[in-house]
Amino acid sequence: MPKVDEKIDAEIKELFSSDKPWITIVWDDPVNLMSYVTYVLMELFGFTKEKAHELMMQVHTQGKAVVSTGSREEMEHDVARLHEYGLWATLQRGDQAL
Amino acid sequence: MGHASARRPSLMSREVDEQPSGFIRHGNNDYVANFSPSESEVLVNLVEQIIELLGERTDNHSDDPLAAMVGITSHDSPPDDEVLLRLLPNAYADQVDASEFRRYTELTLRAKKSAHAMSMRIDLKSSPDGCIEVDHEGANAWLGAMNDIRLALGVRLKVQENSHEDLEILAPDDPMRGVYAVYSWLGWLQESLIQALMDDSL
Repeated sequence: MPKVDEKIDAEIKELFSSDKPWITIVWDDPVNLMSYVTYVLMELFGFTKEKAHELMMQVHTQGKAVVSTGSREEMEHDVARLHEYGLWATLQRGDQAL
Repeated sequence: MGHASARRPSLMSREVDEQPSGFIRHGNNDYVANFSPSESEVLVNLVEQIIELLGERTDNHSDDPLAAMVGITSHDSPPDDEVLLRLLPNAYADQVDASEFRRYTELTLRAKKSAHAMSMRIDLKSSPDGCIEVDHEGANAWLGAMNDIRLALGVRLKVQENSHEDLEILAPDDPMRGVYAVYSWLGWLQESLIQALMDDSL
């Protein structure tokens, strides 16, 4: 067995670590009902009604809100589910400007 | 975000005999609505348009069947059609990432949205008396499909630029007036189902 170069090992860890997570953002939209956005966030992410309502209000008043964080793959999954229900969502690196 | 009117908007000009209920909850897991023949007809019409829209993309004829089978499409550009673009939006701000994501996921997204729409269509078609009864899963399909219809109508009505106040005062002969009536009614119907479902989760 070749010994794994420590530097490469560190780079691989960096690549897969959750130190720099990805985020899912929901954007404001003039069609989606406020109650609908709240309901979808509860259904898809298991948020309480209060938490979902708070995030919905953030989308409504500030134009956007981060609804989940995690690996890139997880965020792609979340965005796909949000698109399925018609919410306007994108994903990006967590350290990128919103 | 949009809002639903608290009062039941009238879909047809002569509807005086109907109960303004929308969806109501029956028991633990049933959601019931009664539609007039004209309302059912409008809903079937709209949902069939969505199913058609979500079918094959006309700007692409060369899909590899094997690739299609595993959910990969050869096109990775966003749809030209404004309505379709709203139904199948970009997942990334970055165009290269957005294209790559679209190539692997658009077919699945279309299939899932079509499944919602077809579920709603079957419920309507199999209830000639207009009495619809759905469980939680069926209700979610209806919500997704009604929302897609509203998104599509919203693009046509330019809800982005026009305020609800602008749309309320459309001239009687403006073709968009009827579209707005349907849009408002659907918002009200969707809201009734959400309230029925939310009661459930309390």
